Amino acid sequence: MEKSEASMQQDAVLLRPIEQTSWKFWVFIGILLAIWLWGMFAWLTQLRHGLEVTGLNVPVYWGLYITNFVFFIGISHAGTLISAILRLSHAEWRRPITRAAEVITVLVLFFGVGCVLLDLGRPDRALNVLKHPNFMSPLLWDVTSISIYLTASTVYLYLPLIPDIAILRDHMPKRRWFYRILSLGWTGSERQHRILEIAIATMAVLVIPIAVSVHTVVSWVFAMTVQPMWHSTIFGPYFVVGAIFSGIAAIIIAMAAIRKVYHLESYLKPIHFNNLGLLLLVMSLLWFYFTFAEFLTTYYGSEPSHMVVFLSKTEGEFAPYFWTMVVACVVIPLALLGNGRTRGTVWGTVVASVSVEIGMWLERFLIVIPSLSRPRLPFAAAHYSPSWVEWSLLASFVAMFIFLYAVFTKLFPIISIWEIREGRERSVLEVSRRVQSYLDSAVPPALDQKSS
Amino acid sequence: MKLNRRRFLGFTVGATAGTALGVPVSQTLSDLVASMDPPVYPPRGPEDSVLSVCRLCPGGCGVRARRVGGRIVKLEGNPLHPVNGGRLCPKGQAALQSLYHPDRVPGPLRRTGPRGLLESFEPSSWEQALNEIGERLKLLREQERPESLIMMRGDARGTSSRLAERFMKAFGSPNDVLLHRGDEAASQALYLGQGVRTMPAYDLQSAEYVLCLGGALLEAWSSPVHTMRAYGEFRQGRPGRRGKLVHVEPRLSITAAAADEWIAVRPGTEGILGLGVAGVLIAENLYDREFGGQRTLGLDDFRDREGNFREGLRTVLARDYSLEGVSAETGVPINTILRIAREFAASRSPLAVGPRKGPLVSGSLFDHLVVQWLNALVGNIDRPGGVLVAEDVPLPPWPELPSDPVADAGRMRSRFDGVNGEEPPHHSYPERLADVLLAEYPYPVEVLMVLESDPAFLCATPERFARALENIPLVVSFASLPDDTALLADWILPEAHFLEAWELDTTPPGVPFPLASLATPAVETPLHDVRPVAQVFLDLAQRIGGTVASSFPWPDLQTLIRSDVEGLYRARRGALMGTAFDEAWVQMMERAGWWAPGYRSVDELWRGMEETGGWWDPFYDHENWRRVIQTPSARHEFRTDILQALTAETVARPMNTEDNENTEGPVDHSLALVLFEPLPIAGGRGAELPFLQGILDPGHEEGWETWAEIHPETARILGLSDRDFVRVESADGSIVARARVTSRVVPDVVAVPMGLGRRGGGRWARGTGANPLRLLSPARDPLGGPPVTGATRVRLTLVAGAEARPLPEGRV
Amino acid sequence: MARWAMVIDLDRCTACQACVVACQVENNVPPTGVGEAEKGRAISWLRVVPFVDEEAHGTRPPLRLTPLPCQHCDNPPCTKVCPVQATSIDDEGLVAQIYPRCIGCRYCTTACPYTVREFNWKRPEWPEPMEQGLSPDVSIRPKGVVEKCTFCHHRLQRARDRARAENRELQEGEYMPACVETCPSGAMAFGDWDDPRSEVSRLSQSPRAFHLMEELGTEPKVIYLSKGEWGGEV
Repeated sequence: MEKSEASMQQDAVLLRPIEQTSWKFWVFIGILLAIWLWGMFAWLTQLRHGLEVTGLNVPVYWGLYITNFVFFIGISHAGTLISAILRLSHAEWRRPITRAAEVITVLVLFFGVGCVLLDLGRPDRALNVLKHPNFMSPLLWDVTSISIYLTASTVYLYLPLIPDIAILRDHMPKRRWFYRILSLGWTGSERQHRILEIAIATMAVLVIPIAVSVHTVVSWVFAMTVQPMWHSTIFGPYFVVGAIFSGIAAIIIAMAAIRKVYHLESYLKPIHFNNLGLLLLVMSLLWFYFTFAEFLTTYYGSEPSHMVVFLSKTEGEFAPYFWTMVVACVVIPLALLGNGRTRGTVWGTVVASVSVEIGMWLERFLIVIPSLSRPRLPFAAAHYSPSWVEWSLLASFVAMFIFLYAVFTKLFPIISIWEIREGRERSVLEVSRRVQSYLDSAVPPALDQKSS
Repeated sequence: MKLNRRRFLGFTVGATAGTALGVPVSQTLSDLVASMDPPVYPPRGPEDSVLSVCRLCPGGCGVRARRVGGRIVKLEGNPLHPVNGGRLCPKGQAALQSLYHPDRVPGPLRRTGPRGLLESFEPSSWEQALNEIGERLKLLREQERPESLIMMRGDARGTSSRLAERFMKAFGSPNDVLLHRGDEAASQALYLGQGVRTMPAYDLQSAEYVLCLGGALLEAWSSPVHTMRAYGEFRQGRPGRRGKLVHVEPRLSITAAAADEWIAVRPGTEGILGLGVAGVLIAENLYDREFGGQRTLGLDDFRDREGNFREGLRTVLARDYSLEGVSAETGVPINTILRIAREFAASRSPLAVGPRKGPLVSGSLFDHLVVQWLNALVGNIDRPGGVLVAEDVPLPPWPELPSDPVADAGRMRSRFDGVNGEEPPHHSYPERLADVLLAEYPYPVEVLMVLESDPAFLCATPERFARALENIPLVVSFASLPDDTALLADWILPEAHFLEAWELDTTPPGVPFPLASLATPAVETPLHDVRPVAQVFLDLAQRIGGTVASSFPWPDLQTLIRSDVEGLYRARRGALMGTAFDEAWVQMMERAGWWAPGYRSVDELWRGMEETGGWWDPFYDHENWRRVIQTPSARHEFRTDILQALTAETVARPMNTEDNENTEGPVDHSLALVLFEPLPIAGGRGAELPFLQGILDPGHEEGWETWAEIHPETARILGLSDRDFVRVESADGSIVARARVTSRVVPDVVAVPMGLGRRGGGRWARGTGANPLRLLSPARDPLGGPPVTGATRVRLTLVAGAEARPLPEGRV
Repeated sequence: MARWAMVIDLDRCTACQACVVACQVENNVPPTGVGEAEKGRAISWLRVVPFVDEEAHGTRPPLRLTPLPCQHCDNPPCTKVCPVQATSIDDEGLVAQIYPRCIGCRYCTTACPYTVREFNWKRPEWPEPMEQGLSPDVSIRPKGVVEKCTFCHHRLQRARDRARAENRELQEGEYMPACVETCPSGAMAFGDWDDPRSEVSRLSQSPRAFHLMEELGTEPKVIYLSKGEWGGEV
């Protein structure tokens, strides 16, 4: 009890967002809700009039909605994948990050699916995919794998959340009934911990192939057609890399935001940003490698219908977006993250991440639209200019996402309290034992004494 | 553990419940969404088909209307009809939209407000209309001023039109103005060569080498479907033989794209190229010497009846149209001219056609003469694959008009526009009519009736025309859609749609055999309170009474047509329309001098015509010289005197000669204006139907607008980009059009389509595009031919604030 | 079972676009408004499209105008990707569309390499009284649903019904789409490719015969005959 009181004091700051809510929060929520309401109006307009209110046309049948779909699903790789990989590799610096990342995943998946529903001509018939499924269709693979991913991510978010809910149940005056139900009778016993750890570890292993499959099948929606610059074998891995890339950037931004707003500087330290920054750098280089491979192959092959699309991206209508994307995804991250000094700062990684998100959104746009607007039969080529409805819905989705995220932080601790404590109490020992096991048997005795 | 299982069970139950609930909810939603769609009721009832004749162009295609429960749901070609053989052009297919057009005039409209606005009209009744107009006309007769009634009509063939003509005669007015329909120059060329007054018919399907001098052979040609059918046969219809088409034009038109060779000449020089070819034919002795020697006059120099020396074609060509000169003027290499001429002569069945692009851009007399001469040079007159002349349809003459001093006196007066009614061309042009009306000389006009035409739109000076109409106390329009002229009228008496009325249509221009198509009303009660124009004239005649009334002994249109059919029966030739087998049978019989008609009474003929679509005579008696050559010399004449009179007026000079004279200040980059008529809006009709607006130019269906095609070099010099809005300005007017930078035209030319730019015509036509007629100078062929379109020069300037967003790369 | 195919002879085709309008009238395609055409939303199941012939030199016209309907591929890239089986190829080779099932995801439209599929961007409207001219044989598509050329399948049904009522087989020439029926120059032919006596079968053997984008392996059933020499009897 005493121990827990002392620890409560230590981690009070983690519980404060749940205990107190300032007026600034309500103002913020109000703005987000206003944006969301505007989005609803846009959506109702679209429902009433049909998709003619968008900028879509023949042959650009897919535009912003599908771009956003791919983008949001891409970001979903953030949480679960990163948290799972970091857990499995016993990276100790993951502890303050995992929950923030997992929440991103669970929430953003809804918006990804939401984008597809927005795009449908007849959303009222969406359940037809269950009534008359065509399993040869990559869209149906999407439906399947995203459903599984959503389920798995939810479970994977929920499992490590249980001990924290128990803490809230025991220490929070309000909403006790809510926490009691969700805590599933957690007592913190050894046995429960063991079961929990096995469950989490199992999910961590399962979630990785599921996550990889999700963005692979999303990429296959494009790659399984025969359209120029879509029908490419590289799409599967390319999209996964891009997803992880934009996912990590999303985590960094989210982390920086909660750190600032909830004063979590002692938990989210520059070293965390530095490490994530390193990962971001690696992904940037990997992304660059894939992109270069894709474009060089296309260019070298010089097939006419492919070259029309290629040139429209590199020097034609889409050139400004293309080169912005390259700068945003490679040049700026390399500059900021290649340099240890800037990488180790919060602002350095955040700026790089924002740049990456912009660049990656542009990359999704540049995958979807140019191939459609320059089809194989040149007579049909056309421009695409998104309308206010599409932009409004994008804005409202982002607003809604932030809103739900903020609500989550008000209901549950955004940093996993019990894992922080676990780290404090046990990890130092575990890690030193682990390092010991790598080295030869001569170990300085000083370290050995700590084990008692 | 227990709780985990409970949790899992709870989750499963919840999910199942959710799905079970979701399915009917989604179904309800679907129904809700579907209910937001307006109910549309398909027709129910017995199905049959009715035969009619399409009137959206002068082509005269037989139409079979599919009727379900009293509603017409589709039009197809009448398979037995010799003109179109079961096929229809896009206008014919879209004609259904004109029947059910939302902006049709629902009944007689009377103007109560200022002229020119649709809102100025109030619905009225036929009774009132006929009373008022009848009174007015009666008054004119009483005042012995019947000549103050003028009629402008755009058609010469239909029953309504013939009745209108008779009405004018019976009434006593000489002012029966037949508006320019695009056939005049071709008929004139045929007349000058062969002495017969009709449109030449080209036997395309039997030809083997066609040299087309700028004509829109595969577009708004005289009878489009008939020509296209012939073209199909010409290409791939004869085993082992494929016709070759060489097209000469400064623009890569649809006909040029279908051709085997596109010879891009400088604008206005198609005829000159033809003369170059003629020169080679003569110089290298490649012409048909038998025909040339025995059946032509004017090939070589000769002395005419008065003893005057007249230059022959040989002399004129050798002197004025040398190969070098022709090549320099047209921009075509000498070798090409030589090659084409030799190929042309060597072909088993060469045929020259051109330069008509459509009813509004009908080509200069110069070019038509050249075409006629080329055919004559290769002996292609009245032979299979050549220039044919259709016989007249043996319709009975209508009863003689009763003698009436008022009418006789009126008819003797000179026409208000000064055109001599006997000598062709006795047709006139809206610009000229506007001038004359404004001058009010030699006598003021009291009543104007306009039918089958929209002169206010088809006018190079529409504002003047509108002003001219203001001087006329009573203007009556018979338009069924409120077109530009109707908006200026005092009364709109909407005519019935061709599917709503009886009609006996005769031979369309360009078809070499006489025919009479019977159109039965497919819609038994017209959709609106409309009447066929013929009926209106019959009623008006009765209102006026006296000799006018007795000039029209028929109570209604059907009776009138029936009496015409009686005359057909009495002619004892021809047969009902039928299959190819029937055609061959009749031809064989008639060649042997027999007549085996398949009907034995007027009733049988009538019923047969209702069932098959009409009557025709498929037998063509080739080389019946007395019929087809009726010149004073009884020979085909090469009228080089006419040619020389025309030369100076009609050819567009290349840029260099004129512009170097005004080189002070900025250089005048004037371009030659080339006009063309896309088939869907040819003749100024079609823009009111949205399906036709969508097909104006293949590959550019986004543009319901007038565009201006310029060559990339020209665009570069002028600093214009694709899709810019440009002002096209001539000495006489200007329009705004969308620039299209394309290699489909030669440099220094701007090509603009005709047919858009109407103020009236319903919601889809109104305000769409601009009318390039405004750009034309009023200059005409000295023989009163059409407004010369080849000699106009224009300047292009960028309109400020243009949206310049080029179409994506790869778009043509 | 028949295998329905279409032959388009580019040597006869005059690009008059009668086929385009006939199709629109026959299949109850709603008329487009001015603004929509500009935004690229005009619905047209069959288009006449321009191809620039870059190899043309001398006096050979560099422009080819080609009617482009749905190719009714035997290996259609579009039916594979529909998530709800709203488009599929039937026993007679017609790629059909099930309007009440389509959810409007437009995957099939993006998968088609010929760009011949259309979408209802809005509720179709016929200003009164234009709805009177609607054909009773073809259903009206609601907004949000994909549509495309069906080779006038409703005409096949009618012809079959008639043949069945008269207790006989369907004959050549009894079933043809509206475009084929109206083509003024007779450039289009239609029939059973598997019947060696049909005109389509015969024409498909012509040395002028080719398919659009054959190399994609879609196996289209629209056979084009190129411009040029006479086709020759086979």
